[in-house]
Amino acid sequence: MLLEVRDLRVEFRARDGVAHAVNGVTCQVDAGETLAVLGESGSGKSVTAQTVMGILDTPPGRITGGEILFRGQDLLKLKEDERRRIRGAEMAMIFQDALSALNPVLTVGDQLGEMFVVHLGTSRKDARARAVELMDRVRIPAAAQRVRDYPHQFSGGMRQRIMIAMALALEPALVIADEPTTALDVTVQAQVMDLLAELQREYRMGLVLITHDLGVVADVADRIAVMYAGRIVESAPVHDLYKAPAHPYTRGLLDSIPRLDLKGRELYAIKGLPPSLTRIPPGCAFHPRCPMARDVCRTDPPPLYEVDEQRGSACHFWRECLDG
Amino acid sequence: MGRYVVRRLLQMVPVFIGATLLIFLMVNVMGDPVAGLCGERQCDPATAAQLKREFGLDRPLWQQYATYMGNVFAGNFGTAFNGQPVTELMASAFPVTIRLTVVAVLFEIVIGIVLGVMTGLRRGRPVDTSVLVLTLVVISVPTFVTGLLLQLLLGVKWGWIKPSVSPAAAFGELIVPGLVLASVSLAYVTRLTRTSIAENRRSDYVRTAVAKGLPRHRVVTRHLLRNSLIPVVTFIGTDIGALMGGAIVTERIFNIHGVGYQLYQGILRQNTQTVVGFVTVLVLVFLVANLLVDLLYAVLDPRIRYA
Amino acid sequence: MPEQPPYDSEGAVAGTGMGGAMDLAASEATTLERAPGGPEGPQGPEGPGGREDAEGAGPAAGRPRSLWSDAWRDLRRNPVFVVSALVILFLVVIAVWPSLIASGNPLTCDLARAQDGPAPGHPFGFDGQGCDVYTRTVYGARASVTVGVCATLGVALLGSVLGGLAGFFGGTWDGFLSRITDIFFAIPVVLGGLVLLSVVPGNTVWPVVGFIVLLGWPQISRIARGSVITAKQHDYVQAARALGASNSRILLRHIAPNAVAPVIVVATIALGTYIALEATLSYLGVGLKPPSVSWGIDISAASPYIRNAPHALLWPAGALAITVLAFIMLGDAVRDALDPKLR
Repeated sequence: MLLEVRDLRVEFRARDGVAHAVNGVTCQVDAGETLAVLGESGSGKSVTAQTVMGILDTPPGRITGGEILFRGQDLLKLKEDERRRIRGAEMAMIFQDALSALNPVLTVGDQLGEMFVVHLGTSRKDARARAVELMDRVRIPAAAQRVRDYPHQFSGGMRQRIMIAMALALEPALVIADEPTTALDVTVQAQVMDLLAELQREYRMGLVLITHDLGVVADVADRIAVMYAGRIVESAPVHDLYKAPAHPYTRGLLDSIPRLDLKGRELYAIKGLPPSLTRIPPGCAFHPRCPMARDVCRTDPPPLYEVDEQRGSACHFWRECLDG
Repeated sequence: MGRYVVRRLLQMVPVFIGATLLIFLMVNVMGDPVAGLCGERQCDPATAAQLKREFGLDRPLWQQYATYMGNVFAGNFGTAFNGQPVTELMASAFPVTIRLTVVAVLFEIVIGIVLGVMTGLRRGRPVDTSVLVLTLVVISVPTFVTGLLLQLLLGVKWGWIKPSVSPAAAFGELIVPGLVLASVSLAYVTRLTRTSIAENRRSDYVRTAVAKGLPRHRVVTRHLLRNSLIPVVTFIGTDIGALMGGAIVTERIFNIHGVGYQLYQGILRQNTQTVVGFVTVLVLVFLVANLLVDLLYAVLDPRIRYA
Repeated sequence: MPEQPPYDSEGAVAGTGMGGAMDLAASEATTLERAPGGPEGPQGPEGPGGREDAEGAGPAAGRPRSLWSDAWRDLRRNPVFVVSALVILFLVVIAVWPSLIASGNPLTCDLARAQDGPAPGHPFGFDGQGCDVYTRTVYGARASVTVGVCATLGVALLGSVLGGLAGFFGGTWDGFLSRITDIFFAIPVVLGGLVLLSVVPGNTVWPVVGFIVLLGWPQISRIARGSVITAKQHDYVQAARALGASNSRILLRHIAPNAVAPVIVVATIALGTYIALEATLSYLGVGLKPPSVSWGIDISAASPYIRNAPHALLWPAGALAITVLAFIMLGDAVRDALDPKLR
């Protein structure tokens, strides 16, 4: 197993109390596999990703429990310097907004080449040549000239390609992509997503794709983990999940996708708002919004029930849900 | 870039004329320009009238101003109260004030930026809070009070420095006066650097740099500092003009014979030519410094394009 | 002017010739301008679907409150604000009724006791002329507070009206005003004061106040212009315009309430710096002149005797520093309370 997260817990000290951003996340990713993590804003997916990468701001963040096993080694037990050597070289991250994620005052060549200089000790000249290769690799036209340009001189799609090139520079075993296409135009989104999927197959990387876009997920993911209020509420192979969700929240998400064949009908929306992370409801966090909620949901937090070998659902009534 | 510089230079012309005219008017209209010329006594009316004719003071104001500026650009700044050409006074005064300003700017750069980076990286910790309070105190205490206090402590009580600076005003003697001159700006540079560092530290590109697995010192020096210092550098640049003009208080406290000293003498003796001459040069310094800062800005931040 | 998408190369960092303190004031206001100061209060820094932070999910349950009542609630609990407000209140009271705490006459001096240290009934000792330092320090507050308050009122009114109108209407008038402010910025402030006040006769606070207003208004006008331009771009202002609201209505009802916060903050801090400026000018001998009583005059008069009678310098200097500090701290606290980014 490439990456295994066990019962990870992260909280934030905020002005109005402690925000429980991640409450016992457990998931795994194999080499060459794509795991999509799905959830609304505030569900804890980005915080989980940042914790795995080791780039969480502490403080205000605090890891209160759990393990992150990368190739069997618990990252949380490593010293910062050992952790740093893994970052970028063995696991890399692609951020949402490339314009702000790239340093505005350094050329893209410098920023790409830096990976080789720091991790491999390459000379600056060779690093520049490798940077051009990388830019070619992600199909940026006239890479040899553009390597001297600054991030703001590229279009949004091209910038995101540079971001991808930077993440893949040292051919890491695991790549975490945090909403890699959200900031892009719809037409460019598909191109960038295709490129990412292609490179992932080529390098046989494990890919964690964080998104709230169900359309993206269906195309590229092998498995899906749905997050709600800092927990994974359902985890399943992509086709199983689309065919029959085993959690009412997943069902709600799927029902709220506009569908051509149901044109004219009112669009379904999950009632209510996601809970404040400082005041997560007791029992099942989803119960105030759940159409199937019963008394037990208000008191007992559901464990992640095993639906079958590959599936789990954190709903007391997953069977009913599965049956529709 | 070239066109931008030309346009900025053209924009500077009205500002230059406006500022010098304002000073010219203040001195000439509201004061009595010949009052200082007869020494300590009052001039008798006949001499005064003759002097006025001699200096062209009976002509309309705009003509006087035009004549004066014409002379200035021909390199003739007129005569000071003691009969010396103003240019000679400048030749002796400006090097002193420039040395003083250099010392002050060095203090701003070294102490201000170091403290700012230190506190910016440790926001909310005790070091940060105490430096922050200290900067507010320094900003609140007027320069002349800081100067007098340091003079009292270091010069009189402990005898570390000579309370007043010799006419040669070597760099060594200017350390404490330079610190006094820099004090308020120094505190401000600290705060500015701190805010800038603290803001940029949470920026996405610094997070990217960390995610790339760069060592901490590289993240700080190459990614964080480079961006955070842009506003600081530009502030220090524009501050040069303000420092030279503001040196008047510091120079008076430590008895430094620089620009401020000559200006003060000129004002006391109501010598128009000295005052307007020095102010003209200071305004020019200020404007040129501002232009250079704007150009520097484009060099430091590639996103800025001047057209 | 440069094309400048990411930074404002003009306002934020350009030196003002007023020294660091004024720059502090200006920069504090600039961070306020950038904030979304709409009446509905803070909005998340990220758009929909943005990054999730701990705070991101927090305010969802919050009730809409006004920026000002929120700020007031914060301020009352901020010890810095409370202390500086009390100091200022005390200063104002003794400026109006100095005899409340000082029974003597500041102009009654006894040369025989010149430079003496503290004595019963004279806790701060005597200055070089044998005047009671305590009484003079107490009476000195009046000059400082008068100059500070009057100059700030003048500067704030003139500056915000001119700057606000220029920012709102733009065009030629705006360009003209910008050039005028540039002219004033190019004159070093102490120097200008020295030149102007040395030729103005009279021994009241008014020439000093007039001078500060003359050289101070461009500062506020630049701030006001900037915040009006920011406020003008808000969607609800565009909406009001689309609904056919008149210029004066938009300016007064929609823009002014949102643009006023930076002006208030800068004005508070500026008040402190004006008091320091008055003392500096008096120290140089061109501000107030004896027999007026002012901290600057006393510090100047005490500096020749600094070796033998440092107390005559330290007490008025301390009073001056605390006064300036109180105003700057107050402005700082108000700014923190009004900055939605920090909550």
